[in-house]
Amino acid sequence: MNAAIIFILLIVLMLTGMPISISLGLTVLTFLFTMTNVPIESVALKLFTGIEKFEIMAIPFFILAGNFLTHGGVAKRMIRFATSMIGHWHGGLGLAAVMACALFAAISGSSPATVVAIGSVILPAMVKQGFPAKFGAGIVTTSGALGILIPPSIAMVMYSVSTGTSVGSLFIAGVIPGISLAILLGITTWWIARKNDYPRLPKASWRERWTAFRESIWGLLLIVVVMGGIYSGKFTPTEAAAMAAVYAFVVAVFVYKDLPIKRVAKVLLDSASMSAMLLYIITNAMLFSFLMTSEQIPQVMADWMIMQGFGPLVFLLVVNILLLIAGNVMEPSSIILIMAPILFPVAMKLGIDPIHFGILIVVNMEIGMCHPPVGLNLYVASGITKMGITELTVAVWPWLLTMLGFLVVVTYWPPLSTWLPHVLMR
Amino acid sequence: MINRFLNHLEEWIIATLMASATVVIFLAVLHRFLSGVPYIQDYAVKLHVSWAQELCIFMFVWMAKFGAAYGVRTGIHVGVDVILRKLTGKSKTALVLFGLLAGATFTGIVGTLGSNFVWEMSHTDQTSSDLELPMWIAYLCLPLGSFLMSFRFLQVAVNFYKTGKLPHHDHGHVEGLEDVYANDLVAETPSIAGARK
Repeated sequence: MNAAIIFILLIVLMLTGMPISISLGLTVLTFLFTMTNVPIESVALKLFTGIEKFEIMAIPFFILAGNFLTHGGVAKRMIRFATSMIGHWHGGLGLAAVMACALFAAISGSSPATVVAIGSVILPAMVKQGFPAKFGAGIVTTSGALGILIPPSIAMVMYSVSTGTSVGSLFIAGVIPGISLAILLGITTWWIARKNDYPRLPKASWRERWTAFRESIWGLLLIVVVMGGIYSGKFTPTEAAAMAAVYAFVVAVFVYKDLPIKRVAKVLLDSASMSAMLLYIITNAMLFSFLMTSEQIPQVMADWMIMQGFGPLVFLLVVNILLLIAGNVMEPSSIILIMAPILFPVAMKLGIDPIHFGILIVVNMEIGMCHPPVGLNLYVASGITKMGITELTVAVWPWLLTMLGFLVVVTYWPPLSTWLPHVLMR
Repeated sequence: MINRFLNHLEEWIIATLMASATVVIFLAVLHRFLSGVPYIQDYAVKLHVSWAQELCIFMFVWMAKFGAAYGVRTGIHVGVDVILRKLTGKSKTALVLFGLLAGATFTGIVGTLGSNFVWEMSHTDQTSSDLELPMWIAYLCLPLGSFLMSFRFLQVAVNFYKTGKLPHHDHGHVEGLEDVYANDLVAETPSIAGARK
């Protein structure tokens, strides 16, 4: 009964369009004021202690690192590298767009920024070469979301924060699914391009490739700094994130020289406000999950599930559907912070691997960003391509189907996500 | 005038905290590595940086509280807008105002709770574990940040009522795209310039 009241209140408040963090906080306050005698002072304490963990501080550092390198110049370098490597295959620039999106998204960490950065450069070039506009739009919209699966990923840190799973293991677990999905999107592109005989590029010389590689490597090394540092045990994830931020600063200002030193303050300010927004959601989500736990809602749900005889198979199906629906209206961080603390205990009771469950959630988030009617990537893509949402919905269809197929594989074949971390993190 | 000063102070505080926290952790990691290098380590071990983590946490918590207030002013806090998109005219105005006032109320309540909490804390001699900073000072960001945020919500609400405009944050904004056009990509990359078909 209480659970129903909490959820209805939360949903009603959210639907008014107020910030998600505020609706979470108000739900908790209303509930505590009217229905329980939990001391209200504990709320104030929670609002400070909710984010008083060093692990959470990886988020601002990753955002800062990403923002230093979220620049048109970096996008251009990634595109040049990708075209020189695979531009001569079927799909040409389109295929290169998939690869460039994957690389840029991994570094910048922001899906909408990837869509804009790669899209604004490569889409006009594709149209010029005679690709239909919707082909490029479909590629960029879907591939732009790859960033949250390829580490370093903020969505994974969020999952780790709300469930206590190791960030390092999650990052390593994301590698194989991330690359597989990029390849699958590439194959979809290749196949459509081959069928329609879209233009290809002449094969680049090894010299050209080397130049392009040398230009893009500085950005890509960011991933190496993070993954290498965490895997070798030299850094904790938060330290790795801070080192990545310093590295990104050096590359952006002194190596690439994209960022004049006087713009650094602006990058700092933007990153700080983006991080503050996420930290504010985390604080309020912590408050909300504190309420959930004190009302024993995950517990009751788990028992009910087991009593109904639901196995992992049905549970995961329900989780997928739930997350895809949520992905329609909310951005990934909020969904993970609200849903994970509720679903995770149930998953554990059913014997699902925490890392597998995390990757599954992240893949869902990725699809949520680009599926109609309200994926954020669709909106951003609609802005740069001047195509309507309905038109784009049709355009993303082939890639979206690929992603959904991949989701089924991720859901029902756990080794895809758990094999690498189990081998490496023993 | 006061408002302009407050805006600058807010921006200055959060950007500085962001930068300093990064530098602090960078130095702490550097220190750890230097402690393993012969000769240098003799000097390095004399310095203690065990407080670095705690300092970083405090800086980011302060940044989060003030940054959240700044975020209200720039419209970065996202909500579920499926219904708002469908509405027009008076009902839309009413719903937006309701959301903003709810924000002001919530942050106002939290600010009040926070002040009480800090007040009680200041009568104890609790300090943080590494920095030995009195805890009430660390917690001070809670009332300060929350009241500032409440004020920002009211400001945005008044402004919206008067002009019908809401601050909007563009999540897809990327620097450095003005000068990048398809043309120079094609011109600079020989392999694209000579594309067949």
